[in-house]
Amino acid sequence: MENRTTNPVGKSVPRIDARQKATGEAVYAFDLKLPGMLVGKMLRSPYPHARILNIDTSKAEKLEGVAAVITAEDTFKIKFGSNEFFFPNTVDQMALESEKVRYIGDEIAAVAAVDEETAQKALSLISVKYEVLPAVFDAVLAMKPGAPQIHSAMNNIGVMMPVQFGDADKGLKESDYIREDVFVLQSAAHCALEPHVSLGKYEVSNDRITLWTSTQAPFKVREALAKTLRMAEADIRVVKLNVGGGFGGKLEMLPMDFAACLLSKKSGGLPVKICCTRQEEFSFTRRKHPMIYKLKSGVKRDGTLMAITGEVIADGGAYCSYGPTVVAASIMRIFMVYKITNIRIMGFRVYTNNPICGAIRGFGGVQSGFAIESHMDMLARGIGMDPVEFRLKNATDPNMTTINKLILSSNGLKDCIKKAAEVSGWKNKYANAKDKAKNVARGIGMAIAADVMGSKMYKAHESAGSIIKVEEDGSVYLFTGAADTGQGSDTAMAQIAAQELGVAYERVRVKAADTEITPFDTGSFASRVTFISGNATKNAATDAKKQILEVVASELKLEKDDLDIRDEQVVKKQDGSAVMSFDRAVQLCYSFNYGHLIIGRGSYNPKTTPIDFRTGEGNVSGSYGFEAQVAEVEVNKKTGQVKVIKMYDVHDIGYPINPMSVHGQIEGSIVMGIGYTLHENLKFNEGRVVNPSFSKYRIPRATDISPIESIFIETNDPQGPFGAKGMGEASLLPTAAAIANAIYDAVGVQIKDLPITPQKVLKAIREKEAV
Amino acid sequence: MKNIKVKINNKTHDLAVRDSELLIETLRDRLGLLGTKYSCLEGDCGVCTVLLDGKNCLSCLILSADADGHEVVTIEGIAQKGGLHSLQESFVKNGAIQCGFCTPGMILAAKALLDGNPSPTDEEIAGGLDGNLCRCTGYIKIIDAVREASQRLKDGK
Repeated sequence: MENRTTNPVGKSVPRIDARQKATGEAVYAFDLKLPGMLVGKMLRSPYPHARILNIDTSKAEKLEGVAAVITAEDTFKIKFGSNEFFFPNTVDQMALESEKVRYIGDEIAAVAAVDEETAQKALSLISVKYEVLPAVFDAVLAMKPGAPQIHSAMNNIGVMMPVQFGDADKGLKESDYIREDVFVLQSAAHCALEPHVSLGKYEVSNDRITLWTSTQAPFKVREALAKTLRMAEADIRVVKLNVGGGFGGKLEMLPMDFAACLLSKKSGGLPVKICCTRQEEFSFTRRKHPMIYKLKSGVKRDGTLMAITGEVIADGGAYCSYGPTVVAASIMRIFMVYKITNIRIMGFRVYTNNPICGAIRGFGGVQSGFAIESHMDMLARGIGMDPVEFRLKNATDPNMTTINKLILSSNGLKDCIKKAAEVSGWKNKYANAKDKAKNVARGIGMAIAADVMGSKMYKAHESAGSIIKVEEDGSVYLFTGAADTGQGSDTAMAQIAAQELGVAYERVRVKAADTEITPFDTGSFASRVTFISGNATKNAATDAKKQILEVVASELKLEKDDLDIRDEQVVKKQDGSAVMSFDRAVQLCYSFNYGHLIIGRGSYNPKTTPIDFRTGEGNVSGSYGFEAQVAEVEVNKKTGQVKVIKMYDVHDIGYPINPMSVHGQIEGSIVMGIGYTLHENLKFNEGRVVNPSFSKYRIPRATDISPIESIFIETNDPQGPFGAKGMGEASLLPTAAAIANAIYDAVGVQIKDLPITPQKVLKAIREKEAV
Repeated sequence: MKNIKVKINNKTHDLAVRDSELLIETLRDRLGLLGTKYSCLEGDCGVCTVLLDGKNCLSCLILSADADGHEVVTIEGIAQKGGLHSLQESFVKNGAIQCGFCTPGMILAAKALLDGNPSPTDEEIAGGLDGNLCRCTGYIKIIDAVREASQRLKDGK
C-alpha cells in the first residue's frame, strides 16, 4: 500500500471514487448496456386534466421492431406514494393511469423497441381518446369551491398541516410590535447532470427482476416496485451504481422504473432501458414546491419573540409525492431555530394540474428559510434592534426541549451566529451610512437555519445497516446500504470504518446500495447518512474489531478488553505498546487453530419519537445541525443588478469526518442557493413547463460564483459517529434570506418574492423613492 | 453512410458512420468510450466535452462525419504513462469531484484552457469552464484544482 492514512476521521482524504471519476472509468446507470437491450419510452398525457376514454395500442404493437407495449391494463392498478407511513391517504399515483390524467406528462403507456426511432414511432401509433376536463393551475384557486376536482380530496387539499402550540393570539396581544408579510416562492428544478435512467431485466426462469436505476434510495424503489408489481421484495433487486447527482429528485420510484421492469417482463426477459431526455427531466420528473408563505408575528421592545402565526400554501401539482412532509418540514424547522412558545401556522399541500412537486435539497426549508428569516430581520429592524442581537436573543440553546418536544442536545447555533458576525466584520459593516451619490451600494445580511439528520418517511423505522468483512490478506470490505449520489458517503463510511477498526483508509473497499447484497438503508435524504449510516458502520467496525481482539487475547493469554487496534497495530490500551500487527492478527484469526472469519455487523436506528401531525409534536431526529450565514452584496441602483460579493457560512457540523467533503457540500449548497435566490425559476404556462432546457433555465456557472468562507463549529455530538452530524442541506436554507436582507441593508428595499431579479429590485427602489 | 478516418486518443480508426451520427454516439456506442458523458444533447451543459485538434468541442453538437481527418482526445486519452494527468490528480486531491458526471468534460475543458494559457487567472479559469455545468461543487474546488494543476504542469510534474 503506497498511501497509508491511519486515523482518517477528521482528515481530508481524497474521495474513494475520485480517481475512477477523474479517468472516466466510473460507471453510471446511464452507461450500462446489456445484450439484447431494448429502448423503452413513456407515452405521456398532452393535457393537464382529462378523462381517458380509450387507449388503442394495436397499431404500435404491430410495428416491426416493437417488443412490448404496456398500459394500465397490464398492471394491477395499485397506487404508490412516498409518505405512506404518516399520510397513507396521500398514496395517490399509479405507474400508468387508466381513467384520468392530471398533468401534462402523466404516464399512460410505455413501449419497448429495438431502437430509439422505432420506440418513438410506436408512441405516435398509440391512439388515446380523451375528454378534456377543466384544469386549475393556481393553488389558491384550486382551494375555492367549484374548482376542478383533481382527486377526491375536498377543495383539492391533499394534506392540511396545523402546527399549534401555546396561545398565539395572546402572544400577539402582548407584543409591542407586530408585522405581517407575504412571501412568494417559485418552483425550481434539481438539475442533476445525470438524467433519470432505469434499466429493467426480468428473469423468466425465476420470475425475478433486477433494476439498475439512478437513485438515492434503492430500498425505497424496491418497496414501491414490489407493491405496484405485486411481487415479493425478495424477487426484486435494485442496484445503484455511481449516480450523477440527486438533490432529492431521485428519491422515489418513478413510473419509468416500473415500466422498464414490466416491459422487460412482457418482452420475454429482454432488458429494457429508459432514459429521460433533458426536456423530460425538467418537465416530468419532480420539482420544488412553489409556496405562498404568510407570516404575522409579534415581538417585545426588548426583542423577545412573542408569537408567530401564519399560513403556508404549497402548490404540489398533480400527485402528493413527498409533499405532505415537505410542508410539515417547512414549518417545523422553526422550532429548531427559535425559542418560540406561541405559534399557529396552518400548512396546506394543494393539488393542481401542474407537474408533480416532491423532495428537493432543503425539503421545504429553503422556502420557509427565505420567508421566516426575511420576516425576522424585518421584526428586528421594526424595533430598532440589530438583527444579530435579535437572533442571539431568540435562538435555541443546547440541551433544551422545545415546545413541540424536539430534543436539542448539542447545539452550536449561538456560536455560529457570533462567529459569523465576527468573521464577516458585521459590526463595522451593518447599517453603514450609504453614499447616495454612488450608483452601487453595498449591504450585509444574516440568516440562520437548522436541520434534521434523519426523518421517518416510508417505514416505521429509519435504520441503516453495515457489514464489514476482513479477509485473510487483511483487506477490509464494507457493505453499506447507504446511497452515495456524489455527496461522498462511500468515502465517509470508509473513513469511519477504518478509524474504528484501527486501520488505514486505503484498506477499505466499499460495496454500497445493492438491495440483494448490502444491508437495508432508507436512503440518502434528510441529511441522515453520515449520522445514521455512519453509526451503523461504526458499530460494524466495532464488532469486527472485537472478533479480532478475542482471537489475539486468546492466543496471547491476555484480556481482550485490555487490547485495541490503532495505526494498524494491536496494542495494549494501557500503554499503547504494540502486541502484533493488524495483518498478523488477521492471519492468526484465519490460522489452523482458529479459522475464524471476521465478519462484523452493525445497525443503527436513531432515538426519535413519532410526530403527531395534528399539532407538530414529536422529536423527529436523533440530533440537529445548526448554522448562520452572512451575505455581502452590491446592488446597482440604476440597473437593479445584485452581485454577491462574499458569503460567510458558519456551521455546527458536530465534527467533520472529511473536512474537504464538508466544505464541498457547503459550497455546493450556497451556490445552488444563490441560483435559486437570483435567477432559477421553473416557469409554467397552463401546466406546461416553458423553460425545459439549461439554456432557458439558468443554473449557476463557473463565472457566476463569489468567494465563500466556510467555518466549522465543532460541538462533538454525543450521538454522532465520532461526534459528526449530518449537514448536506442546511447551508442551502438561509442563503436567500441572507441575500435579501443584505439587499435591504444596501438600498432599503425588502424583496419578498423570489427570484430577486433586477426588475423587481429596480421597481422596489423606484417605489421607495416615489414615497 | 460515410467512411471516415479519425485519430482518437492517439489511435487511428477507420469507421463507417451514419450521416446523422453524432461524435458522442460514435465515441460511446461504437467505441465504448463511456467517459464522455451525456446529459442534455443540446450543447448546453458541457458534460460531453472532448478535444478536437486540441480545442474544446461539444461532442453532442458535431457530426462524426465532420471529424473526418481530425484528432479527438477523450478523458480516456489524457492519462499519462505511469499515472493520471496533472489535472486529474489535482481534481482528485482538491475535492473538485463529487458526483463526477461533469468531471470528464470539466477536465478536458480545463486542459484546452491550460494548453492555450498555462498561467490563467482565476477569472480566466472560470471563463474557460463557463460552458461546463456542475450542480454539486459550486465550482470553487474545481477552480482550485485547475489553478494547482497549472502550477504542477509548469513545474513539470
